[in-house]
Amino acid sequence: MTDAEVTECLARGREGDDKAILELFHYMYPHVTKLVQANLPARESAEDLIQQVCIKVMSHLDQFSGKVPFLHWVSRIAVNTCLNQIRHEKRRPEVRLADLSEDESKVVEHLAASPGDLDASDYVGSKELVDKLLVTLRPADRLLMRLMYLEGRHVDEIASLTGWNKSLIKVRAFRARAQLRRRYSLLMKESP
Amino acid sequence: MNPIDDQLNRLFKAAAKGEPDSAPTIPYGLETRVMAAWHAAKTREIGSWDMGLLVKGLIVACVIMVISFWPALTTEITASNPFADFLNLTDSTVSSDDAP
Repeated sequence: MTDAEVTECLARGREGDDKAILELFHYMYPHVTKLVQANLPARESAEDLIQQVCIKVMSHLDQFSGKVPFLHWVSRIAVNTCLNQIRHEKRRPEVRLADLSEDESKVVEHLAASPGDLDASDYVGSKELVDKLLVTLRPADRLLMRLMYLEGRHVDEIASLTGWNKSLIKVRAFRARAQLRRRYSLLMKESP
Repeated sequence: MNPIDDQLNRLFKAAAKGEPDSAPTIPYGLETRVMAAWHAAKTREIGSWDMGLLVKGLIVACVIMVISFWPALTTEITASNPFADFLNLTDSTVSSDDAP
């Protein structure tokens, strides 16, 4: 969908056109899904959260000023909805080497054995291992690590998505990174 | 660089590549549920607008009532004047004198 098409759809959507709303839903669905699945709180259904975000977006179309791209605005709503959901999450499990799958253990071994980048065969294992490591962090730190290291977003972008100020993001990122380092070191110590 | 940091960086780099690229398919029924919820939200919005209009209408009606009752109220006050009967009598006398 081009920018002009999105603008036109938004105008029709604000007037209550069902077809335009449906088009917008199809347009934003992959984006919302990616964000929600990346920041999904434990024990929460992705589908419910995606539905919640989409309804929020559609019900507040008249609040979209058009100063930022539509998907950027949608991202902000999705991130804030996830943050609200995970704010009260208390349980943060420990990661032990014995809990890792075969693929994840291989990734740990490969990382320790060679200084180069990992092979494509290790990508899925790496993703699972990172997910397990991130679950040990506080929800806000987890979100920050994902945005920063997995999605490669810049501090400015994270600030506009989350509403946190840049100093807070830097401090939080530093602390979260230190925690990840500690958890990963423990794993390495356990590894033979 | 710290070897642990280096390993973490490589781990994140590989994990970012492990993210699924394909567009997810919309689960069965989600589209209908979202549209139904949007319709419900829209209806609620219209309902609240109607309620606001009703309240405004009631206020305007009250103002009109007060304005229309005002002359009657002032007449009532005049009627409680002790000289009102005397003045009325004088008026009627004057008007009967003028009669042919």
